[in-house]
Amino acid sequence: MFSKHVTKFSSAYCHDQLPPLVNKKVAAHLLACPSCHADFDEVKLGVKFARQLQLVSAPDVIWPEIAAQLQQGARRTNLTSFAKPLAIAASLLLLVGGALWLLRNTREPALISWHVARLNGTPRIGSVGFNGEAKLGVGQWLETDATSRAQVDVAAIGHVEVEPNSRVRLIESKPTEHRLELQRGRLSARISAPPKLFFVNTPSGVAEDLGCAYTLEVDDDGNSVLHVTAGWVSLQLTDRESKVPAGAACATRRGISVGTPYFEDATSSFRAALTRFDFDGTESKKPAISVVLREARPRDEITLWYLLSRVNESERGRVYDCMARLLPPPAGVTREGVIKLDQNMLEQWRQLIEGSHVPSFGESVRDVLGRARSGVARRIR
Amino acid sequence: MMIEHTAAPREQSRGNDSKESVDWQVIAACQLGDRDAMHTLFETYKDRVYSIAMYSLGGTETMAADITQQVFVKLMTRINQFRGQSEFTTWLYRLVVNTCLDEQRKTRRFVPLADVSIPAISSQSPRAEYIRKELSLRVQAAVSQLKPKLRWPILLRYVEDLSYEEIANVLGCSKGTVASRLNRGHKALARKLHHLRDQV
Repeated sequence: MFSKHVTKFSSAYCHDQLPPLVNKKVAAHLLACPSCHADFDEVKLGVKFARQLQLVSAPDVIWPEIAAQLQQGARRTNLTSFAKPLAIAASLLLLVGGALWLLRNTREPALISWHVARLNGTPRIGSVGFNGEAKLGVGQWLETDATSRAQVDVAAIGHVEVEPNSRVRLIESKPTEHRLELQRGRLSARISAPPKLFFVNTPSGVAEDLGCAYTLEVDDDGNSVLHVTAGWVSLQLTDRESKVPAGAACATRRGISVGTPYFEDATSSFRAALTRFDFDGTESKKPAISVVLREARPRDEITLWYLLSRVNESERGRVYDCMARLLPPPAGVTREGVIKLDQNMLEQWRQLIEGSHVPSFGESVRDVLGRARSGVARRIR
Repeated sequence: MMIEHTAAPREQSRGNDSKESVDWQVIAACQLGDRDAMHTLFETYKDRVYSIAMYSLGGTETMAADITQQVFVKLMTRINQFRGQSEFTTWLYRLVVNTCLDEQRKTRRFVPLADVSIPAISSQSPRAEYIRKELSLRVQAAVSQLKPKLRWPILLRYVEDLSYEEIANVLGCSKGTVASRLNRGHKALARKLHHLRDQV
């Protein structure tokens, strides 16, 4: 019986539907036969997926309609007569839709795509322009010219507006990760989902949604600027991360790093000095820090908090002194401990800053001061 | 070394003597025109019927509600024809399958995966719950894309928890055919959803 393969028994074996003796022989054969084992593994994966099917609760409105029909005999209900014209309309539409469905479904695996709507002009997906609605598949590029804009639905969790002169690609869409790539241009995202499900890759960093709305711009050199209008967004590159709150912005430079977050109403001198500190040479950092510390307001504490871990130890005392003047640290946080980057002390001070100026981003300082984020690093070109 | 079965423990909801006798009492009362008994029968099976209709027709709530209503109206008006030669649930699910197939033939309904509406999931849901729900919706969409003869064994096995023999009785085929179609259905799902394998 088992001189041949046992693939026809794979599902029954998974479901324990075989007689004991057959079951035993199938088990022995699967151990010895790689091809049957591979077939079994595929069936087993399908079983795991099928087990995700769940009972759906029927709406309460059904029984009264049934009762009414039973009362009056075989007359069709409102629900049915409401569905009938819909079914007729669906039949007519499906004369066109059916051909499109066959075309779309002749290849495996099933394609994942996001709905795209034109907002202005004629955006393109690949080389094809569209005027109404389209689908953006995984791996496809959406491009806008100087006069066109588009809105992309991010699965079921939000949407992204793609501004003129932009190039965006759908990289991934699955329950744990929805990811776009912004090669150049500008997009505005509004996401309603648990955090860490929506990501945007740029040439100089990855924006990770933490429950928010934001705008992200990438210039022709691959540098980017993130502006957060609601919630928080994390910008990451290798081992550096900046969590940016609403009202704040953060820049990245390709080949250099992720910058330090700052509130957009900070003085222009403050912002210019911070840019020099983040992205210019080592010799610029010390004078830049002096300007930042001189221009800092109480609201800029979040920027200073990040600088604690980004300046040399010799400069850290100056940053601490400035912070302590603007917002005294909580009890138990010492100058010596902060200079040594005691993580518990930094965490306590962060929470105080949050309570004073910014909404909570609720994660440990360890995540921000960060070890290498290897998963993120792999995504960066 | 043994290769593990993946069979999950099945609820012993069938073969429970007290439930069987309740079903027969309720059925008998329905045959006498007892509206309360009909409501009880409806409440017992409504979610299963609705789920089957939803998954087989691509997730349209209106159509699923319509099918559910049709099934129970047919059930109640024909209940006197049930003589107990087969299990009641065999008769019921056969009715569900035939009603869904009739509806599909009437509307020639095909639902592309990308067009299955995925309702917005609350941003207040915990992350794990959100992921689980979205995976379930992806599986639902993939199942609705299967050919009917592969889809029905999957639905009857996983939504209705029927044995191979019960599925064979509902579909009017042999157990071997059920096994073969489940094999093909499982593989089709594995191929369609392979990119989500890390989620299960």
